Amino acid sequence: MYLARIDGTLTSTIKHETLHGFRFLIAQRLEGDGSDSGEPQVLVDPIGASVGSIVMVTTDNDAVRKASAKTTPVRLVVMGIVDSVYMGAA
Amino acid sequence: MRLGIVRGTVVLNHAVPSLRGVRLVILEPVTAERLASGNPGGGKCLIAADQLGPGVGQMVGFAEGRTAASPWYPNDIPVDAYCCLIVENFDYSPPAKPARVNGKKTKKVRS
Repeated sequence: MYLARIDGTLTSTIKHETLHGFRFLIAQRLEGDGSDSGEPQVLVDPIGASVGSIVMVTTDNDAVRKASAKTTPVRLVVMGIVDSVYMGAA
Repeated sequence: MRLGIVRGTVVLNHAVPSLRGVRLVILEPVTAERLASGNPGGGKCLIAADQLGPGVGQMVGFAEGRTAASPWYPNDIPVDAYCCLIVENFDYSPPAKPARVNGKKTKKVRS
């Protein structure tokens, strides 16, 4: 699991049959210091996060497999919207 | 899932039996800078299995790793990238300024 910032949304009509009904977001994974890490990712969002918010993402596709089918090819799922993050002083 | 632009297709002459009938597309992954500039692309090209049939130039979302073989469950298939969706419309608005943490400017990631 890791933190990501929601940078945008995405719509798709033609997609894998197990993905119908899900909301998709474009997100940027974050480092511990809040800086960007890697390339933008597409997340499945079952809880309704908004653009600009920080979310916690799981890389386990069990969440989608249980909601949809075992043949689903996605695994990045928004688990929660972050309220606050505390890191101890260095 | 990452975003990629379809750049072409691959057709195999001889293939392992489990790959027969599987359409393959060449994808150029999209980097954050290029997505923000409105000219998506910029990553290292890769080949993905595909069942949707996107055209050249279209943006798709693709899964990587073991998850990419899930659509063939419970059969095993040696693919590590799979084209999950064709992007119809997207809205991308990253923060304009680099985030500041503890008053210090965070370093810019170059790709």
